[in-house]
Amino acid sequence: MTTMPVRRRRWRNTAVGLSFLLPNFIGFLILTLIPVGLLFYYAFTEWNVFGGATWTGLDNFRQMARDTTFWTALRNTLYYAAFHIPLTLGVSLGLALLLNRKLRGVAFFRTVAFFPYITSIVAVAQIWNMLFSPGYGPVNELLRWVGVDNPPGWTTSADWSMPAVILVGTWRDMGYYMLLFLAGLQTIPGQLYEAARVDGASAWQRFRAVTLPGLRPTTFFITVLLTIGSFKVFDLILVMTNGGPGQSTLVLAQYIFRKGFEENQFGYASAVSIVLFAICLVVTVVQFVVNKRRSS
Amino acid sequence: MKRSLAAVTALLLGLTGCSSGGDAEESGPVTLTLAGWSLATTPEFKTLADGFKSSHPDITVELKEYDAANYDTQMIADLAAGKAPDVYVQKNLKNFFTYQDGKQLVDVSDVAAKLGPEVGGVSAYQVDGKTWAIPYRADSWVLYYNKALFDKAGVKHPDGSWTWAEYATAAKELTTKLKAAGDKALGAYQHTWQSTDQGFALAQTAGASLESGDYSFLKPYYQTSLDLQAAGAQVSLGDATTNSLTYQAQFGKQSAAMMVMGTWYIATLLNQQAKGDADTFEWGIAPAPQLTKATTGTSATPVTFADPTGLGINPKISAKKIAAAKEFLAYAAGADAAKALAGIGVTPADNSSVADTIFSLKGAPGDDLSKFTFATHDTKPENPVSKYTAPLQNILKDLHTEVLSGTSPIDAAITKAQDRAKNEVLSK
Amino acid sequence: MTTVLVPETATPAEVPSVTRRSSRPWRILGYAALGAAGVVVLLPFYWMVLSSLKTNNEVFTIPVRWITTDPVWSNYADIWSKSNMGAWLGNTVFLSAVVTLLQVATGSFAAYGFAKVHFPGRDVLFLAYIGTLAVPWQSYMVPQFVMMTKLQLTDSLWSIVALQAFGALGVFMMKQFYETVPDELLDAARIDGMSEYGIYRRIMLPLSVPALASLTLITAVTTWNDYMGPLIYLRSPDLWTIQIGLKSFISQYNAEYALIMTGSVLSVLPIVVVFLLGQRYFVEGIATTGLKG
Repeated sequence: MTTMPVRRRRWRNTAVGLSFLLPNFIGFLILTLIPVGLLFYYAFTEWNVFGGATWTGLDNFRQMARDTTFWTALRNTLYYAAFHIPLTLGVSLGLALLLNRKLRGVAFFRTVAFFPYITSIVAVAQIWNMLFSPGYGPVNELLRWVGVDNPPGWTTSADWSMPAVILVGTWRDMGYYMLLFLAGLQTIPGQLYEAARVDGASAWQRFRAVTLPGLRPTTFFITVLLTIGSFKVFDLILVMTNGGPGQSTLVLAQYIFRKGFEENQFGYASAVSIVLFAICLVVTVVQFVVNKRRSS
Repeated sequence: MKRSLAAVTALLLGLTGCSSGGDAEESGPVTLTLAGWSLATTPEFKTLADGFKSSHPDITVELKEYDAANYDTQMIADLAAGKAPDVYVQKNLKNFFTYQDGKQLVDVSDVAAKLGPEVGGVSAYQVDGKTWAIPYRADSWVLYYNKALFDKAGVKHPDGSWTWAEYATAAKELTTKLKAAGDKALGAYQHTWQSTDQGFALAQTAGASLESGDYSFLKPYYQTSLDLQAAGAQVSLGDATTNSLTYQAQFGKQSAAMMVMGTWYIATLLNQQAKGDADTFEWGIAPAPQLTKATTGTSATPVTFADPTGLGINPKISAKKIAAAKEFLAYAAGADAAKALAGIGVTPADNSSVADTIFSLKGAPGDDLSKFTFATHDTKPENPVSKYTAPLQNILKDLHTEVLSGTSPIDAAITKAQDRAKNEVLSK
Repeated sequence: MTTVLVPETATPAEVPSVTRRSSRPWRILGYAALGAAGVVVLLPFYWMVLSSLKTNNEVFTIPVRWITTDPVWSNYADIWSKSNMGAWLGNTVFLSAVVTLLQVATGSFAAYGFAKVHFPGRDVLFLAYIGTLAVPWQSYMVPQFVMMTKLQLTDSLWSIVALQAFGALGVFMMKQFYETVPDELLDAARIDGMSEYGIYRRIMLPLSVPALASLTLITAVTTWNDYMGPLIYLRSPDLWTIQIGLKSFISQYNAEYALIMTGSVLSVLPIVVVFLLGQRYFVEGIATTGLKG
């Protein structure tokens, strides 16, 4: 077997590799890849979804360059991502470390941490809006109680609506990513910790020398997922602020929905999606390269 | 399931083919499908289908359920995939343009030509001299008021002579006097929708138009709203949205003494009072407050707004079905359907002669002003049909929250909206 | 060949020994902190439960009322008669089970190909998988719907299965976990004459139990909570899932918020049970800790 000619072995590897992919790939190709691929065509057309699309070349992208609302949505999306990604990463890793123990009641606390993710998003939006209610909400009552004279207006103020949405986004997502981190923590061999302990490493040193490197594939996966999820944030904003007040929380995914389904400019909506896609891709590739370099 | 439905339809068609011989294509029973939403609690579609069947025994109308909140999203997908029902509702005018411009509607000018002038809202569906949908209901916005709370505060009931200034005065007076009487109700409730300011502004201001790109006509309306918010005579937009206030509970549970709302709320309120979801109290409707004195008083015709609700025909169906569907549209806009719809509290397109039917429903007000209000109005469309309407309304939606949240002063917000309208929409 | 990987029984990683060493006051403080955090996290759920015990027009009030003196238990009886809750639950359970099974099976299978078999074009293909994650669904929803219509799949539960089961997430996730398994282990097995399929089944699957468990949970929850998919694809009321049923319930009974919250509470409970059952796979570290080398 080891004497098999190189070319034949490569061919065999390809066949074996493809046979693994096939069951998933057929479904993926037809139902996801082809529709997504069509988007790259529609982005260069004027298309009202019902009829044929008219080729307009780069018109959509030229329009986008002048479209102040697009830039506002892009800026808001970056704002959301810039805070939501590190915050969620930190909180969910912290939770995972905390709850990766044999504590009494750990199952309960894990379930509690996962609760925000499974609670209906409509209920989530309603309750948080109520908590944030500027006049009567408990959040501001608490702030006043600790001595803040002029607490923020949260979702009713253009300056504070994005921080409010980021907080709720983190609160909602932390359990999800905690779960992924927990699974990742199980892949780190216990002997490594034992060895580190024998060497007299402190808890912090063990975290730096064993946990972080051991979690690298997981962290990469989570960071990519979190980045994409943050750039695509939609449901939460839709139900919490619907982009307001004014345009203060309007994000790209919502803008795409508006342009497509509300204003029937599916060609333009596709073009904006392509831009969103490109941003995600660039960030992902950078993460990919950084990850490759670190792990080698 | 779809397959079984298709099988049943095929079976039915097969049976009819047997019974009526070879000319099944030309005559014989037809089954039309009609899109509706929330069928269990929105009886109007069944009322239309049943009423039509009794006068047209050969044509059966089957209902297809859609989601109320996502009706247009679902319909766009179905039309794009070629599996939409034969007749579908134009839920509001904002999306009508999408369907008309996308060639998803049959020209129904011949149906429109046979309708009398008493059918309201037909002109809203006209593009390039042709009519593309036929209205079956035509609501309009009116002022609901709680007679019990007015009496408790000792404030005079609306008499149809109000401009917005008098409305604001009354709201503040009610708030103060109700407070003095130990009642926490506020004078007015303004729901969170942009139309509560902009719909009236567009309808009542002479020369106002969305496409002009000049939105200074909004200013007096927002001044009134901001004034009432500041005076504590109505819940602020921020409190209404963060607490997810519903207008049904605000008026129905007597948290506000007055509320401008569409006539669709009449049926809801009657229903909720009967079931106990709303308090039982005397109420009435009055004409919506006007911009100037010229259109006030019961000898004038008050100006208000609302989009009609219409029926359109899917062009992908056979000629025979189109003919049947046109008969259905004519019926739905006519006097018989109007009576049937009024019987369930719905405001039909032909609403001149049904006030008595509506106001004889249990729990409905019996005063003359309410009847006048229901029958007399000059109702302008909320969303005039144009390719610019949807994007412009989205810009004005941003303006609405920006102004009422206090993010920017009115003038600055209007200037910003005008710039956006010019650069992002009207310049294309 | 099995000599390389006799899975040792779990040597629970690091932390238990820390716990052993942490003193009592610290532990109490830890529990207090966890408890406080738990309250904040559970508050919205508490409000949901509370609202489900109120009358409709009491749900949204100013200011918020955090206790109810007169709970309306009848909401929990009413919801069964007013809605088609039983059918919705049935459909959702069916979908969650089938989608999860397919996603986990095909996803982990494909992931092995991506992680451990070297062949040309692999990385490009993988990038295509991740790339589709970066496109918002609402922008390719209509082309996908048209495609699905051509396949005669719309308005049947299988459309949702097709939609959810072949997503890129499972492949991506499992690939990452497979990459943590040292290549030497597989090479040893290959030398012993084990086929790639054998390696996948007898080495990879047992090693990736925690990852499989989290993928299972996440897929099940995502399917359970999916709203837009069923909304677009399932039109017949007898096919509705719990989320779409609840939403239509909201628009039908638009002021019946108490009942809506009752439905929301009921819709979460099955997921909580699944989670409680599944989460224990993250403690025992089933097999991975047994890896030598």
